[in-house]
Amino acid sequence: MSTAGSIEYTAVRELRGPLAVVEGVTGVGWDEYARITLASGERRHGVVLDADRDLAVVQVLEGTAGMDPEGVRAAFTGSPLRVPVGTDWLGRVCNGRGEPLDGGPPVLASRNAEVGGAPINPVRREPPSEPVLTGVGAVDTLTTLVRGQKLPVFSVAGLPHLELAAQIAAQATTAGEAFAVVFAGMGLTHADASFVRDALEERSAAGDLVLLLNTADDPVIERILTPRIALTVAEHLAFTGGRHVLVVLNDMTTYAEALREVSAARGEIPARRAYPGYLYSDLASLYERCGRIRGRPGSVTVLPVLTMPAGDITHPVPDLTGYITEGQIVLSPETHARGVYPPLDALSSLSRLMRKGAGPGRTRDDHLDVAAQLLAALARARQVRDLADLVGRAALSPADRRYLDYEEVFLRDFTDQRSDEPRGLDASLERGWRALLTLPRSRLSMLPAALLDAHGAEDSGAPDDHEETPR
Amino acid sequence: MTPPAPMTPPAPEQVTRALSPVREALLRAARTDAEALLADADREAAAVLEHARAEARAILGAARREGEADGSDAARDLLVRARREARARTLAARRESFEEVRRQAAVRVRALRGNDGYAALREELERRARVLLGPAAEVSEHADGGVVARVPGRRVDLSLTALADRALDRMGGQVRSLWEP
Repeated sequence: MSTAGSIEYTAVRELRGPLAVVEGVTGVGWDEYARITLASGERRHGVVLDADRDLAVVQVLEGTAGMDPEGVRAAFTGSPLRVPVGTDWLGRVCNGRGEPLDGGPPVLASRNAEVGGAPINPVRREPPSEPVLTGVGAVDTLTTLVRGQKLPVFSVAGLPHLELAAQIAAQATTAGEAFAVVFAGMGLTHADASFVRDALEERSAAGDLVLLLNTADDPVIERILTPRIALTVAEHLAFTGGRHVLVVLNDMTTYAEALREVSAARGEIPARRAYPGYLYSDLASLYERCGRIRGRPGSVTVLPVLTMPAGDITHPVPDLTGYITEGQIVLSPETHARGVYPPLDALSSLSRLMRKGAGPGRTRDDHLDVAAQLLAALARARQVRDLADLVGRAALSPADRRYLDYEEVFLRDFTDQRSDEPRGLDASLERGWRALLTLPRSRLSMLPAALLDAHGAEDSGAPDDHEETPR
Repeated sequence: MTPPAPMTPPAPEQVTRALSPVREALLRAARTDAEALLADADREAAAVLEHARAEARAILGAARREGEADGSDAARDLLVRARREARARTLAARRESFEEVRRQAAVRVRALRGNDGYAALREELERRARVLLGPAAEVSEHADGGVVARVPGRRVDLSLTALADRALDRMGGQVRSLWEP
């Protein structure tokens, strides 16, 4: 029998907000997990925020409401939170600290692991390769997600990023190999939490999904544990269970806000916008837990979703996330206003590892060429649209007008998709071709002639089609 | 000056004869016009009819597709609800058996109090409590069996039910054998 956890400390000096100050403690460290028993026998949980001499400041996860300092007993477990790990998590719906919300027994396993985890040793990393197909045409075609990658979604409040995250979590696959999704919702409203449960019901019933839901009214310290529990569960499903695991973290901005709140409670010196100075390393300690390990099956792919307050991409959370991650999927209010879902800003989006996961032998031979041509043509269409705003559509050359038509087909036919519609990569690439073929062949210089022939690209022959609007 | 010769009106047959080509021409033209109009009207009617039929076909097709989509959505919702229900029942049953194990364990462990070995067990628990809290600890019997020890600011619960609870917590995955083959 170990001494840790057996001794209960009964001297609670004060209760302040969610904090309980326990005195007379020995050998208690930061981040240690605590079990708190009330006089009524009710059990609560806490995390040590600060320990100094014989004082420990414990943040009570369930809050201190209704607690009488007289009858409170706190037992420290001797280590940061550990969670059971294994396949028992699959198909379960739990709250942000891993307790069941689905009416079932607690998640049970013969092994448990510390939620802090340890990022993968760099020399044991296997470079990411092979795609995770999300079933979202524009994402798969233009910003292919690669197994072991961390690819954030940058969004703005009011855009359907939660729908997109849920759709990806519901549809993603890895070409028939064992696959699982861990969805960690942080700071969700109850309406959003119930939307996520409904959207992921099918996958959950199939036993492919772990759903952790921390709602906006749950304690902030729990929000800090949620992504760590999600990643710990994912690591074991991947590297012990041999599955490819996609971890969707929604929304990392509320996570960072929780971190700020806890940091303020700890009395730390605030840095940029009052976030703690260690925000970068804290985010890195989460994002860097993705990857593949040499000699082990499985992979952990991380898709964090974050909202940029007031659309500010220089805000600390997207800014620091951008330093760590390998590309980004950017959602645009303009595209959303045009009624297109997903409202992807294709020109600002990028998957840095796409070349490792797409193309010949991985997806389709023409994938990379088509993606490059779609983006090049879209960039030109964007310039033409700016020009049309100045001189009017009528003053554009016929060739430039076709770029406007291209953009329309790109948005309406290629990008636009129902939120419950899984679209295969082949179907998406064919739609991409359909958009490209609205342009004359001479404008599709990034595609090999053989491919253009195969898709019946024809030059209009009209001399006007080669002219640009005089500037 | 000679008076003008009086005009003699032509004979009616003469007039009829003279006008007959005009009349025939007019009649022909009128007939052609009428035929053309009739043909136009026929064509127009056929076109309107064809258009109406096409529209009706399109509406029917759209309605059928919409109906099918609604139907499949409803069927999917039904399936999802049924699955959720089945899953909830399975999980509730597992929770029930999990809690039953804890209840049984508590009952059995409380029954230890009546055993011959209880005095030795209690002594061992008291010794452990003093190891944890020091020799000055005030040790008392717990209502469920076992002991509770106290020093100011600290407490150790070595009651039999608390020990059983901790032992079950440590068993973790083994409890799953209740519902897994």
